[in-house]
Amino acid sequence: MSYPTIRIPFGPQHPFHIEPEYFMFEVDGERVVSVTPRIGYVHRGIEKAIEDRTFIQNLYLIERICGICSNAHTTCYTQAIEEILGVEIPPRARFIRTIIAELERIHNHYLWLGLAAHEIGFETLFMYTWRDREIVMDLLEMVSGNRVHYAMNTIGGVRRDITPEIVEKIRKGLDALEERMRYYKKIAMTEPTISKRTAGIGILKPKDAIALCAVGPTLRASGIKRDVRADDPYIAYDEIPFNVITYDGCDVISRLFVRCDEVFESVNIIRYAMDRLPEGKIRIKVPRRVPEGEAVSRVEAPRGELIHYAKTNGTTKPERYKVRSPTLGNIPSLCKMLVGGYIADIPIIIAGIDPCFSCTDRMAFVNVNNNKQWILSGEELRRYAIKWYQKE
Amino acid sequence: MTEETTEENEIVRKMKHLIGKNVLESEVPRPRRIFILVNEKAFGKAIRYLTKKMGFTHVSTITGVDVGKEIEVIYHLNRGGKIELSLKVRVTKDKPVLPTITDLIPGATLYEREVHDLLGVSFEGHPDLSPVILPEGWPPDVYPLRKEWTLKKVQKRIMKGGKQ
Amino acid sequence: MVPEGVVALLEILLFPGFLFLIALAFFYEWVDRKLLAKLQNRYGPLYTGPSGLLQPFADFIKLLSKEDITPKAADKFMFSCAPLFLLSFPLLALFLVPVAGLKALISFEGDLIFLMFLFTLIAVTVFIAGWSSVSRFSTVGGVRAAFQMLGYEIPMTLVMVGPAIAARTLSISQIVGWQTHNAAWFIWFQPIGFAIFVLCLLAELEFIPFDIPEAATEIVAGWSTEYSGRKLALIRLGKDVELVLAASLITSLFLGGPNSSLPILAIGFFLLKTTLAVVLLTTLRALFARFRIDQMIAGAWKYVIPLAILQMVLIQLGFGR
Repeated sequence: MSYPTIRIPFGPQHPFHIEPEYFMFEVDGERVVSVTPRIGYVHRGIEKAIEDRTFIQNLYLIERICGICSNAHTTCYTQAIEEILGVEIPPRARFIRTIIAELERIHNHYLWLGLAAHEIGFETLFMYTWRDREIVMDLLEMVSGNRVHYAMNTIGGVRRDITPEIVEKIRKGLDALEERMRYYKKIAMTEPTISKRTAGIGILKPKDAIALCAVGPTLRASGIKRDVRADDPYIAYDEIPFNVITYDGCDVISRLFVRCDEVFESVNIIRYAMDRLPEGKIRIKVPRRVPEGEAVSRVEAPRGELIHYAKTNGTTKPERYKVRSPTLGNIPSLCKMLVGGYIADIPIIIAGIDPCFSCTDRMAFVNVNNNKQWILSGEELRRYAIKWYQKE
Repeated sequence: MTEETTEENEIVRKMKHLIGKNVLESEVPRPRRIFILVNEKAFGKAIRYLTKKMGFTHVSTITGVDVGKEIEVIYHLNRGGKIELSLKVRVTKDKPVLPTITDLIPGATLYEREVHDLLGVSFEGHPDLSPVILPEGWPPDVYPLRKEWTLKKVQKRIMKGGKQ
Repeated sequence: MVPEGVVALLEILLFPGFLFLIALAFFYEWVDRKLLAKLQNRYGPLYTGPSGLLQPFADFIKLLSKEDITPKAADKFMFSCAPLFLLSFPLLALFLVPVAGLKALISFEGDLIFLMFLFTLIAVTVFIAGWSSVSRFSTVGGVRAAFQMLGYEIPMTLVMVGPAIAARTLSISQIVGWQTHNAAWFIWFQPIGFAIFVLCLLAELEFIPFDIPEAATEIVAGWSTEYSGRKLALIRLGKDVELVLAASLITSLFLGGPNSSLPILAIGFFLLKTTLAVVLLTTLRALFARFRIDQMIAGAWKYVIPLAILQMVLIQLGFGR
């Protein structure tokens, strides 16, 4: 005997999503029977736009693919272009990039912890982590001048130096961050309502994780030791010792612990890098014209493996630029985790992969409202508006 | 150069051994990066060999590049998180069809749909090639990332009342 | 002398009737919001009135002036009635609870049963409100509310009967009278009952960890998703009155009630104790994450109901009085 199922839409606008994204859930009572994801609501056509801009202009565009992991994207981009150019950036720049990348990771994981707490209805923890997130945001602002889009990377190095005074302040901030994260990890381990809502939820077996090409903390929480920083070292990671954190619980709480422990690792990496910050220039001059070539650049963004592919044609603009953000890589595994779970677990499972849909939807080029078919960009919109009012 | 480089060269050598002349180009620009261009005919064999025998179980992404009359589809495969092999294959724009790899690597579903959306390459045997990124009602013959579709042209096409 | 009828009318309309109770409802909403904010390291309401004291009232007025939308597919009659019921049931229930003095506005033998009945009606109305809005989120929210009721209703009834057995009466006023007369509060005799009662009230009020029927991150606003404008204002006011009801019931059944026949002293005691009760409820709300509906019901049936029965047995054995 089969019962009728209810179809519950999640999104595109839903209080749990910060960004528009759509999941159609078929539920039987409180159980999820099937999931259909539909991405593309914040599709801004960045890949096409990149082909139309110079390499320097693209730096700013690529920074804006994502708000939280903006630095990871530019690191990946500059790396690819530098590889095609065949230049090596100064060691000091490599270390500064590493410091910023790890600060960004700390920021991201704090942010995620707050969101995860929010998804399971633990408002107090949410408020606390987001308060402490301010510490790392202040540090980043002090270093780069910006809270979100740090704009530290440039082709050939970094744009700002880290002075000894800043190093001291970062050290103080790191102490506070480490202590707070220790406290939150303790809460997560001891508070029964948290473990009730996260342990054993959203199971992703190692076999499935590999088959569905999961990346980042999601993969590492399934017990698979894979981290671009260790496996395919870039910037200064080959000179800095650190551990790749894995947990083998395969569930949401393991993902939580992976992220908590990664914060400790990041803190250690930053301390190590600051102790051994090489002297010298922070950037070198590079030509504007990039020779013909191609490069695949990989970075471990806070959310997982980020891969950029660049193809150049000898002009000042790229021939083709491809971005694949970690979230897209995790969506197939996400659907796997959701099936068989409860409606109440949907938010925390989706949050468990730390989704960033702006990263995911970056290609194509005009934003089209699908009912009325009008373009939401620039001049055309203006013309459309004028026409509209003339009709009235 | 280093031990790793030889490992990469070894992979290239094995590929050449497997499909012979069908390896059109190969390059190892730096450690842990391999680019191999294979003939369309030998693509199925090559990817099966790489995923089943060589341990390239992770597909990082699939890129489509418009190279004039043809579309180059690049499979960014990964082994153990370390070696990133970009397997390239070219299909003509008139009949851009490739066998799907979702039976080998289930995680490639969205990537294939993405390439189908944006460049119009269809993947034979893929369970569902409905639009994943482009909106419903997008003109079916407009493939935004093909070079002939410039921004102006697409805008004009859609502004024309969006008739499909 | 003022005629008795006028006094009765004033009692119902002004004090301790509608006006006082609604003012109290707004005040406790403020206490709840402010304290929760403090616990969560925020400021809470700040601008309207001293320390944002008038914010709940301002919100109410604002909601009254907002557009009121009824979904096309909704059962219009039930959809419009539900908010009225949701406000009137807790208000009516509050009339049974002594506020100033030892006697409530309405008091008769068996009013405790009537109050329990009202409590159940509130939960049923919530379900009807969710069901009649037709929206999927509301439906799921309504169903969850009904499920949740299955979990907390029985232990709550059991522990509310505890003081009644001990005081040998089914009237709330007389239970309060018994506690005043014997100078003893039931919280000391029936601590398990008290704890269970507070827990069930958290569920009744849909506070974290039992805010399952309106879990924002899962089902938008749950059963009240489709409500807006005036109806939402009434629902929110109803929730506030329910908070007052919960606090005053804790006070009456377990904390000795107003504890004095002098009106001034009585109202002072009443306010003090109910505020304490609100503080307790709010603090608990800040401490937890949300349960899942199946976990909540399983927990209620596995642990809470046996404990409630244990409390009953203890009372029967003579430990509870």
